[in-house]
Amino acid sequence: MTATEFSSSPFLLALILLSLPLVSSCVAFFIKDKFAWLSPLISSLLLLLTFLASSVLLFQVDSQPTNKFTIDWFSINNKPITIGFLLDTPALLMTAVVSFVSLLVHVFSAGYMAGDKGLVRYFGLLGFFTFSMLGLVMSSNLLLTFCFWELVGFSSYRLIGHWYEKHTAARASTKAFLINKVGDLGFLIGLMILWSISGNLEILSLPPISSTWLTAAGICIFIGVIGKSAQFPLFNWLPDAMEGPTPISALIHAATMVAAGVFLLVRIEPVFTPDCLVLISVIGSITAIAGAIGALFQFDIKRILAYSTISQLGFMVMAIGSGATESGYLHLLHHAFFKAGLFLGAGSIIHAMHQAQHHTPDAMDVQDIRNLGGLRKKLPITFLGFIICSAALAGLPLTSGFLSKELILSEMSVWASSAISWRWVIMGAAWIVTFLTPLYIFRLVWFVFFNKPKNEIQIQEVPLIMRVPVLMLSLGAITFLFAQDSWQLTSIIGRLVPSSTHTDITITLVSLILISTSLVTGYFIYRQKELTMQSDLLSPQFYLDWLNDRIVRFTLFLSSITSVFDKKWIDTFIHGLAYLQVTLAHVVSWSDRNLLDGFVNGTAYSTRGIGSMTRSLANGKIQSYLLWAMAGLVIFIFWILY
Amino acid sequence: MSLLSYLIFVPILAALLAILIPARLHNSFRVLSLTISIIQVIILILIINRYSFRAGFQFIEKIPWISLELGTWGILKAEYFVALDGLSLPMVALSVGIMLIATISSWTIEKNQKGYFILLLILNGAIIGSFCALDFLLFYVFFEFMLLPMYFLIGIWGGPKREYASIKFFLYTLLGSILILLVIVGLYLSVKTPDSNEQLVHTFNVLYMQDSNNLIPGSVLSLNSDKYLGPYSFRLWAFLLLFIGFIIKLPAVPFHTWLPDAHVEAPTPISVILAALLLKFGGYGLLRFAYPIFPDGAIHFSWLVGFIGLVSIIYGALNALASRDLKRLIAYSSVSHMGFVLLGIASATVEGITGAVYQMFSHGIISAMLFLIAGVLYDRTHDRLIENYSGLATKMRAYTAFVLIAFFASMGLPGFAGFMGEVMIFFGAFQSHTVNGLVPVWMAITSTIGLLLGAAYYLWTIQRMFYGTYAVRSSLMDLPDLDRREYTMLLPLAVAALVFGILPQLLLNYINPFAIDFVSSWFLFEKLLTP
Repeated sequence: MTATEFSSSPFLLALILLSLPLVSSCVAFFIKDKFAWLSPLISSLLLLLTFLASSVLLFQVDSQPTNKFTIDWFSINNKPITIGFLLDTPALLMTAVVSFVSLLVHVFSAGYMAGDKGLVRYFGLLGFFTFSMLGLVMSSNLLLTFCFWELVGFSSYRLIGHWYEKHTAARASTKAFLINKVGDLGFLIGLMILWSISGNLEILSLPPISSTWLTAAGICIFIGVIGKSAQFPLFNWLPDAMEGPTPISALIHAATMVAAGVFLLVRIEPVFTPDCLVLISVIGSITAIAGAIGALFQFDIKRILAYSTISQLGFMVMAIGSGATESGYLHLLHHAFFKAGLFLGAGSIIHAMHQAQHHTPDAMDVQDIRNLGGLRKKLPITFLGFIICSAALAGLPLTSGFLSKELILSEMSVWASSAISWRWVIMGAAWIVTFLTPLYIFRLVWFVFFNKPKNEIQIQEVPLIMRVPVLMLSLGAITFLFAQDSWQLTSIIGRLVPSSTHTDITITLVSLILISTSLVTGYFIYRQKELTMQSDLLSPQFYLDWLNDRIVRFTLFLSSITSVFDKKWIDTFIHGLAYLQVTLAHVVSWSDRNLLDGFVNGTAYSTRGIGSMTRSLANGKIQSYLLWAMAGLVIFIFWILY
Repeated sequence: MSLLSYLIFVPILAALLAILIPARLHNSFRVLSLTISIIQVIILILIINRYSFRAGFQFIEKIPWISLELGTWGILKAEYFVALDGLSLPMVALSVGIMLIATISSWTIEKNQKGYFILLLILNGAIIGSFCALDFLLFYVFFEFMLLPMYFLIGIWGGPKREYASIKFFLYTLLGSILILLVIVGLYLSVKTPDSNEQLVHTFNVLYMQDSNNLIPGSVLSLNSDKYLGPYSFRLWAFLLLFIGFIIKLPAVPFHTWLPDAHVEAPTPISVILAALLLKFGGYGLLRFAYPIFPDGAIHFSWLVGFIGLVSIIYGALNALASRDLKRLIAYSSVSHMGFVLLGIASATVEGITGAVYQMFSHGIISAMLFLIAGVLYDRTHDRLIENYSGLATKMRAYTAFVLIAFFASMGLPGFAGFMGEVMIFFGAFQSHTVNGLVPVWMAITSTIGLLLGAAYYLWTIQRMFYGTYAVRSSLMDLPDLDRREYTMLLPLAVAALVFGILPQLLLNYINPFAIDFVSSWFLFEKLLTP
C-alpha cells in the first residue's frame, strides 16, 4: 500500500482515532497543577474527536473480513510479526461504543472529579485507558492484542488506585492487577502454544485445524479471559475495584476493561475447539449465577452493580460457549450502554449525597443502600436515566437488553436441543439468571429511589454536566434507537447478527413470565422489609478472598523459607568453606614457620658450611679452578651418559 | 588500530594519564572520566554506523601477542584478537551507555576521587575488552582485570559491611575464574591452528576452538576422547566447569549469594555497573564460549541449564518478595530476570537465543534504572528499609513516576524492552520441545510464574512505599524530588527502555542474524558427533 493509498484509506483515520486518546494522555503530562482545569476540557474535546472519527469509520467502511492493514513490526527467525488494524464489524462497533462511553465518562468526570488534586493524572490515565482499549479492539495480531491487554490492566491498576492514600484503594488496585496477571499468564501460554504450532499470531490466519494443542491453547487464552472479564474463579478483584472513582468503575465495567475478555472470545472464536467451548459455557454459567446471587445480598450500591456485571459477563461468556457468539457480542455492546448508565447514575447519587453531607454533621456511608431512600423525587433526572438502564438490565421489553437477551436465549434453546444432555443444565442456568437479574436490580432501585428516606437531608440534583451523560446512555439502552432504519444502525447490527437468527416466540413468552414473576416477587419481598438479610457465604466473595489470602500467605511463607535458606544454608556453607580455608591457611602458616622454615634454616646453615668449604676451594689459584672445573665436567658427562 | 581498539584503550590510557594528575585536583578526575565516556559514545556511534547487519564478525583486529616455542610441545600462540558480532555489539553498546550513566552517577563521590575514577576507567576498558575478545587468554586477562577494580570499588567506597561483601564477591568470582582457567588450559592443550601441519601450533583463538576439525586427535578434549572422570567424559566436564564458572557471574541459584551482599554494600554507580554489565558476562560467556565450543556438553546438560534457569527465576523472585531492603529486593529480582536468560539459552532455538540476548540488553537498561532509583532514596535518607517509607507518591511525584516506569518495565509490561526479551524467551523455550527437544514444555510454562511473582513484589513495594499517607522514619522533613543530575541519568534510561520495547527491530537487526547463525552452526557440529 502506497502512501497516497494509505492516506485515503480508512486506516489513516483508524490511526488518528487511536492516537487521539494517547495525545490526550500525553498532554496531561505537561499540564501544570495551576492549570488543572484545562485537563478535563482538552481531554473531553480530544475524546469527542475520537468518537466522531469512530462514527465516521463505522458508517463508511464496508465490512469485508479482509479489511486489514498491517506492517512488519519485527521479525524473529525470519518469521515476521506484524502490527496493524483489523477493521471488521465487531471491531468497528466496539470502537464506536468504547469511544462513546469513554467520552461520556470524560464529561461526567469533569463534574464528578472537580477539585480533586490528582485531576491531571486522572485525565491522563483515562486517555491512556481508552487508548489501550481501542488498540486492543482494532489490533490485527494476537501479540499486539496481548500488549494492549496488559496496558489495559496497567491503566486500570493506576485508576483503581487513584486515591492511593487510602489503604483500601491501594490494596484493591494491587489485587486487581495481580489477579489479572494470573489470567494474563494463561493468555501468554496460549500465545506460546499458538506460536509453536503455527509460527504465526495473525488473528485472521489462526490455525483452524483441530488438535489437542489447539484445545490447550484455547483453554489457556480463555484463562486470560477469566481474569480480565472477571469470571469464576478469578472474579473477586472486581467488587474490590469499586475503591476507584465511580466514573472509572463505569468505564471498567462497561466498555474498557472487562469487555476486553468477551471481545477477545468473539475475536478468536475459530480457535476454540468444541472441548474448549464446553469449558467456556460451564465457567460462564457458574459465573452468571454466582454474580446474580452475589448482587442479591450486597448493600453497597457499587458492589451490587459490580456483581451484576460479573453475572452479565458470565451470561455473555455462556452464550459464546453455547454457540450464540454474535448475540452474546450484541449483548456486550448493549450492556456497555446500560451498565455505564447505571454506574454513572450511581456516581450521581453518591456525588449528590456527598454534597449534601457537607452541610450536615452526621457521617454515614452514602453508598450503602440501607441509608438511602426516596431519591426518586430529589434526583428526578438521575432517576429517569437509572430506571431505564435498570429496565434494560432486567431485560424488559422495548429495551436493548431485551433484544439481545431474547436472541441469546433463542439460540441457546436451539443449541440445547430436545434430547436431555448436560446442555440442559447450562440452559437452566440461563433461565435462573433471567429470573434473578430483575430481582436484584428491583431491590436496588426500590431501596434507593422508592423506599422511605432514612434521614432528611437536603439533596440537590447533580450538575448538568453529570446529568447529560446518564441520559445519553439510557437513550442507548432503548431499543427503538436500534430499530429505526434511518439510523443505519440496524443494518450494522444486521452485519453482525446473521439474519437467520430469529427469536423464538415461546422463549420470549417464557422469559417475560419469568421477568414479571421476578419483579412481583421482589415487590412482595422488599416492600416493607428492612434489609437485614446477610450471608456468611457471600461476604467474603464466595470464599475466593479466603482462598486468595491462603495463596498469598503460602507464597509469603515460601518466600520466607527461601530467604532463610539463602542466609542459613547457602551462606553458612560458603562461610564454612571460607573458615575451612582460613584454618587450613593457619595450619600451613604454622608448618611454614616451624617445619619449612626449620628446613630452610637448616638448609641455610648447611649451605653456610658448604660455602665455607667451597670458599677454601676458591683460593685464587687458576690451577685449582681448572681442576675443579674438569672434575665437574667429568661428573656432568657421566651423569648425561648414564 | 581499529575503532574497536580505541574504544577499549582510550579509558585505560586515560587511567594512566590520571595517575599523573595530582590528587588535590578533585574535579579533574570526574571531568576526565566524563570526557572519556563521551568520546566512547562518539566512537560507538561511528562503529554502529559502519556495522552491517549480517552474521559473522566485523571490525576484526588481530595482532600477534605471545608466541612461544616450546619444543616438542609445539608453539604457544596467543593473539590480541578483538571483533564484534551480533552478540557483542549490543553488549558493547550497553557498556558504553551504562558507563556514561555510571560516571554521572559517580559525581557525588567524595572520598579519594583519584583512586575511584582511575579504577572506574580501568573497569570501563576491561569490560569492553572482555566483550570483544575472541582469544580466550585475552578474554581471561580482561576478565580478571575487571574483577580487581570491582573488588576495590566495593571494598573502599562501599557501605558498612563492605569488606565482607567485597571479599565474598571476590572469592565467588575468583572461583568462577579458576574453573574457567582450568578449561582454558585444557582447550589450549587440545586445539591447534588449522594451518599447523609440520609443527603443532596451540592457540587460544575461540573461533578455532569452535571448529571440531581443529581438535588434536587423542588430546584431553578431543571429540572421541575416551578419557572419563566418573560418569562424564572430559568434554562434558569441561562444559560443566565453564557453565558453573559463568553462572556464578550470572548469577544463578545456588551460586548467587554474593550478589545481594555486593549490591547492598556497593555505592550506587558500582551497583549499576555490577547489575547492568558484570552480570551479563554470565550469559555472554555461555553464548560465546561454553555453547559453541562444547555443543555436545550443552546438549547433554540442556535439561540442567534450563532447570537452573527455572529455579533461579522462581527462587530469586521468592527471595525478592521476602526482602525488606529495597536494594536487596532489586538484587534478587536480577537473579530472577537473569534466570530467563539461562532458560532462553537452554532452549537453543533462534527465538530463545535472540530472547536471551535481548533480555540481557533490556535487563542492563532496566536494572541500571532500578539501582539508580534505590540510590536516589539512599542519598536522601541513608535508609533502604521498605517498611520505613510510606506515601512517597504524594511528595516525590517525578521520582514516583520513574519508579513506576522502572518497576513496570522490569515486571515486563508491554511497551518496555523487558517484555520483548521475555516473550521471545517464552516462545523459544516452549517451542524447544518440537524443534530440538532440549527443554521440556513444563519448564516454559512454570517459568511464567516468575512474571506473576515479579508483579507481586513490585506492586507490594509500590503499595508499601509509595501509596498510603506520607511518612518517612529517618527524616522529618519532606524529601526533595529529583534534581537535575538525577533526571539526566534516569530519563535516557527510561527512553531507551521504551524505544527498545516499541521498536524491537532496532536491536533485532543485530541479534537475529547472530542467533540464526549460532543455532545452525551449532547443530552442524552436533551432526558430527553422531555419525
